[in-house]
Amino acid sequence: MNLSYRIYYVFFRNLVSYKRFIVPTFLVSLIEPLFYLITFGIGMGAYIGYFGGKPYLYFLVPGVLVSSVMLSSTFECLYGTFVKIVHEKLYDSLIATPVSAEDVVAGDVAWAAFRGLVSGTLMLVVAAFMGVLPASVPSLLLLLVLMVFVGILFGSLAMIVTSFAPSFDFFNYYTELIITPMLFFSGVFFPLDKFPAWMKSFASFIPLTHAVNISRAVFTGIYDRGLIFSFLYIFVLEVIAFYIGIKSMKRRLIK
Amino acid sequence: MNLIVTAKDLVKKYGDFTAVDGISFEIKEGECFGFLGPNGAGKTSTIKMIHCVSPVTSGSLIVNGLPAHIDNRSLKMMTGVVPQEINLDNDLTVYENLIVFANFFDIPKREAKKRIAELLKFVELEAKRKSKISELSTGMKRRLLIARALLNNPKIIVADEPTTGLDPQAKHLIWQRLRQLKNQGVTLILTTQYMEEAQQLCDRVVIMHRGKILREGMPSKLVENEIGREVVEIRVSKEDDERIVSHLSSLSCGHERVGDTLYFYCRDGQEIMKKLIELNLHNYLNRPASLEDVFLKLTGRGLIE
Repeated sequence: MNLSYRIYYVFFRNLVSYKRFIVPTFLVSLIEPLFYLITFGIGMGAYIGYFGGKPYLYFLVPGVLVSSVMLSSTFECLYGTFVKIVHEKLYDSLIATPVSAEDVVAGDVAWAAFRGLVSGTLMLVVAAFMGVLPASVPSLLLLLVLMVFVGILFGSLAMIVTSFAPSFDFFNYYTELIITPMLFFSGVFFPLDKFPAWMKSFASFIPLTHAVNISRAVFTGIYDRGLIFSFLYIFVLEVIAFYIGIKSMKRRLIK
Repeated sequence: MNLIVTAKDLVKKYGDFTAVDGISFEIKEGECFGFLGPNGAGKTSTIKMIHCVSPVTSGSLIVNGLPAHIDNRSLKMMTGVVPQEINLDNDLTVYENLIVFANFFDIPKREAKKRIAELLKFVELEAKRKSKISELSTGMKRRLLIARALLNNPKIIVADEPTTGLDPQAKHLIWQRLRQLKNQGVTLILTTQYMEEAQQLCDRVVIMHRGKILREGMPSKLVENEIGREVVEIRVSKEDDERIVSHLSSLSCGHERVGDTLYFYCRDGQEIMKKLIELNLHNYLNRPASLEDVFLKLTGRGLIE
């Protein structure tokens, strides 16, 4: 692993180019969760009524928030990175400088995490306007840390997929067969306690389930010891995915 | 003169395919060294190893006293790369492309700004400072690639077919700039398929074919040794070959038949021309021998794909 401070330069390059996309990405990051919250929260919430003493919207926000972080960072390292490698050959020009292949990949994962953080934060603002807020300031800080963790994890996982993707179409397998189902198995829209035991244990392997649990605790202010495990689980997966993502992408870049 | 690149039995394999097949060469500091060859000869693979983006399969490759290696940041720090493919950053403007790249070399911001102003002037792109990359012509893009390669004041410039797809004006401007850099003492390593380019720029060339070096030397010497001074091309049908060759036998020239043309290689074309008039032939051409003749003689005139 030949990592250095030059990760920041790669991040900075993305920041400079972001100027041109900031308006559309902000709009998407605001409007998409708004649709979720309005349709599910208000429409479905009217049928569901109260969940643990609070309107359905309170149940929904924490899950939708971490999933928007997941989706942003995933798409950045799928499509964003693929364009930079294949279409624009940008990575080739970077690795001819003192920036190493590892720096480039890590810089893009960091960037994906940042994009996730932006999406999550915008979502948080929307939720705040609807009256749904984290339980306390420390809880809010914990949520920000969680968003960064989730962003790095899903950015790295997407990087692994991109490292062997022959074309854009390949990403459909990943988004449709892995990312989208994850939304429904991780307790974003409904609690998992009615799942049969085998589905429950399946759900407990999904990293998003753990992120949703932590996020929900951030909003309710009710923490239990299991959350420490959840955090560790996400962290360990993240380290592994980051390592494999860099290694496999390096194999694609350097021939 | 000091040697800046020394390659010994250099091999590059991609899986089972051998792109570079045990070549040895030396490049002196301050010279312009050219790799010539048809597509797939192994030129790009060779220079990618020199500028440390492709690992050496076997053999040794020393650049500026250090072994070339993909993690050798100090070599990358002193090398400027003009790639074959235009890989400018399309999301950024001309100026942003350069300022972001200056970062990669740890150039302090104030110095970078000064350097960018000089370089934009050098490649005549001052007016395009704020343009998007998509608004530039191919010639402008290639010039910007050169400016980008010069940001770090490189000691070695590696240019992979730097004038592909350019019109004559743009091509000559790039040649002038590259010669100017050489005069400033920069070592220039070039690959090209254009023989004119090699003759215009290179002090020494190697001709590569199928991963091997066939010849090495000064362009003019190579031409003289392999071909002679002049070439006479005669477009006649094959049946006439014997008659013409025997008529010209006293001149002791080499000859070769390719497709519809009979080639004569010799010191003095005038003599042949006189004899051809005697034969009452019309469709012929007398021209100075060029590196292209050497190249075609060595690598064959058939298509290489």
